[in-house]
Amino acid sequence: MMASALADPKLLLFIAGLLASTYVLSTSRSKAGVEGTVAALNGSLLFATVGLASAVWTWIIHNQLVMGDATEFCASEGIVQCGSVIGDPRYNNLFGVPWGVVGALAFTALLFLVLSIRMDVHAKWAESYTNYAWYAGLAGIPFLLYLVGVEAFAVHHICPFCTISHLSLVGFLGSVWLLKGRRENKNWY
Amino acid sequence: MSEPKGKDEDVRVIALLATLGVVTIVGLAAIIVSPPVKVGPLEGEIAPDFIENAYSGAEWESFRLTEAYDDRMILISFLDTDCPHCWDEGATLSNLHSTYNNDVQFITIAVQLSITGHDSSREEIEAFRDKTNYEGCYSGSQNCVNRPGSAHSWTYVDDIDLSIAKNWDVPGTPFSIILDSNGEVIWNQAQSDNHPNEDVEQALARLVG
Repeated sequence: MMASALADPKLLLFIAGLLASTYVLSTSRSKAGVEGTVAALNGSLLFATVGLASAVWTWIIHNQLVMGDATEFCASEGIVQCGSVIGDPRYNNLFGVPWGVVGALAFTALLFLVLSIRMDVHAKWAESYTNYAWYAGLAGIPFLLYLVGVEAFAVHHICPFCTISHLSLVGFLGSVWLLKGRRENKNWY
Repeated sequence: MSEPKGKDEDVRVIALLATLGVVTIVGLAAIIVSPPVKVGPLEGEIAPDFIENAYSGAEWESFRLTEAYDDRMILISFLDTDCPHCWDEGATLSNLHSTYNNDVQFITIAVQLSITGHDSSREEIEAFRDKTNYEGCYSGSQNCVNRPGSAHSWTYVDDIDLSIAKNWDVPGTPFSIILDSNGEVIWNQAQSDNHPNEDVEQALARLVG
């Protein structure tokens, strides 16, 4: 059951997105100056986009579960499946707002910040926007830890699409951390 | 080396528009693939799901509303074992169950209203349902064995903390909501404008036929 859940083509697409983001980010380390900065920004953009898409996907699953028609999206049994996580009415929302919507809004904000920097890496506000992206990403970590805790200790199931969102945030933070390092090391341009 | 100068125009507006464009496309795609549904206790909405402990005559066990759905309608009754009106509602529900059992699934949500003298417990809920010897029903003034009507055979859900009642906007007890077999609310006692002067008995007669 676990193997079949992980072989979902949609999940594989998201995993490919994460791998591509990681690869693009990794290329930034070997590049000096603005070329490396742009590569790191491209990595962060990809992470934010994958995070946004996976969050929206979990929202779709949420809506399907509410309608009682989620067989297309989720296995009904097994440790790795979404139905028991996203479908659990006790934990699947933040004050009534589905977590997928919360995640999508958060990644939208992160996407805007890094896209702005990417479009003008030499702008005066680029440094402050990098810091905003860092702190905004960090603000998501407590929620991430809470949701992983719910999966591990309360629901006892792992939703792979949720995990994609979580890894996207971690990857995004890693890319912004590299950007901050480039700024501090005078290697931004 | 002098610091490179940024672009003359502020690209942040363009970045914002581009971001909103991406979000709009992704959001619209999501809505097309799976339209959001309105969840709530009002007629036409999908009833809010819940997971609570419930008693069906043996032990208190975890109960999830959506897992109880079958091909029957569902009558959700909110009762307080200390509420005098709920005391009488026990007989009404017994009669309704004997008439509609094949077409309607009965679920009772046992609440504890914030009223002086309303001091419920799982033992009291069990006694109210089963009509067994327990002093404490009807604001503590009656033995539950004397409740009108027959013993109930359906599931009673523990909502002493009112978590379900708050989520379902229950104004008081007894209070009834009828769901279709897919969990959509088709009759809410509080929406009398939609069905003037209709009580739960008349509603079931109309809906079940």
